[in-house]
Amino acid sequence: MSRRYDSRTTIFSPEGRLYQVEYAMEAISHAGTALGVLASDGVVLAAEKKSTSKLLEPAKSSEKMYMIDEHVACAVAGITADANILINQARLHAQRHLYNYGEAQPVEQLVQRLCDEKQLYTQYGGLRPFGVSMLYAGWDKIHGFQLYQSDPSGNYNGWKATCIGANEKGANSLLKQEYKEASIPLSAALQLAIKVLTKTADATTLTPDKFDIATVTLVNGRVKYTQFNETESQALLDMAKAESASADA
Amino acid sequence: LLTPLAQTPAGRAAQYAATMSIMEYNGAAVIAMAGKGCVAMASDKRYGIRNQTMGCQMQKVFQMNDSTLVGMTGLATDQQTLEQKFRFRSNMYRLREERDMNPKAFANMVSSLLYERRFGPYFCEPVVAGLCDGDKPFLSGMDLLGAQVFTDDFMVAGDCTEALYGLCESLYRPDLPPDELFEVLAQCLLSGVDRDCLAGWGAVVHVLTPQGLTTRHLKGRMD
Repeated sequence: MSRRYDSRTTIFSPEGRLYQVEYAMEAISHAGTALGVLASDGVVLAAEKKSTSKLLEPAKSSEKMYMIDEHVACAVAGITADANILINQARLHAQRHLYNYGEAQPVEQLVQRLCDEKQLYTQYGGLRPFGVSMLYAGWDKIHGFQLYQSDPSGNYNGWKATCIGANEKGANSLLKQEYKEASIPLSAALQLAIKVLTKTADATTLTPDKFDIATVTLVNGRVKYTQFNETESQALLDMAKAESASADA
Repeated sequence: LLTPLAQTPAGRAAQYAATMSIMEYNGAAVIAMAGKGCVAMASDKRYGIRNQTMGCQMQKVFQMNDSTLVGMTGLATDQQTLEQKFRFRSNMYRLREERDMNPKAFANMVSSLLYERRFGPYFCEPVVAGLCDGDKPFLSGMDLLGAQVFTDDFMVAGDCTEALYGLCESLYRPDLPPDELFEVLAQCLLSGVDRDCLAGWGAVVHVLTPQGLTTRHLKGRMD
């Protein structure tokens, strides 16, 4: 019955749903998990990389995490080709703002602009929506550290901790349980991210080549985006293992 | 017969004033030099409107990334706008490529940007200096339409280029280490702008080595 309302993005179903948008979210639920945790002194982004074949050449740069500007980074879940378009647009928005105002674009403004573009594809033109959900982690001088999530409908929300992609329901409920205080330090945020990623990852044991983890922090008054390398990621895994061992003991 | 414009003292003065080139409206002088595994670029600090000096803190040399400097002469507003445009493109390149633009690519980008406005140009003559592959000096200068010229010794731009050329030809020696390069460059610029009323009022010298950028501000004749 709902088939009649499937094929066009720009019409509602009788129940008031936009099926194409929902189908886009379905596509995202098959993609590698990405999660973000907000701390008082930074933001953590972590993502599981889904490797489909041993023959694949290891990617020179991450396919899950991107820098949008000096002060904003994002993690994506969904169709990589769609993500590339949106990332490029985000970068251009940020640079245009810098060009016009001589200062870094506030994070929420950037997210809003991108979501406005996503929304266009649900109302005009008859083109399908972007099959990507994104997590934005950034800092600006107005609101400090922030974490946002946007989805194909063009809706966005600010979060303390959230997850997108495969197993997001399980990850989200786990985050809800574990993120107890009003705010946590970056070290705790990193541990929480690893813990949740370990539980929700497809792989039985997590190794540094199967996930990306990065932080957005302030160093000497400047925002720094740091992507952890293999040694640092392994150190985090070891710490998490030690903690869970001591918790079980 | 006095035209309406000439009913004010300023109008009367303007009637007798020679037309001034738009490139000399604000006044500037930039020199770039190549040394042994380093480059240096110096500029004056005057910001003036015709013959009145408005300020002595004007920045005309900008660092685009760890290995590239660009200095601009000509119309001040175009200097500033171009610096912002270069930063835009430099940033986009770094985000997409995940590495910095090398000086040669940057100079070509500047040339391209200027030529895009072939029939309504930016009134600006940039000089690009940088280190390719870590420590190989690179110098490039352009006219306002983007015609590039490459040298391995020095590049000058501004409204007192004759004086600057003369000094550079006399004082420059190849393969100078950073400290000596700084001395030679500083002397060339300070003496060169002495005879030019539109450039001067202080100077700044940047020396770029693989280890980083050193900036020194110089006291010159404030006239």
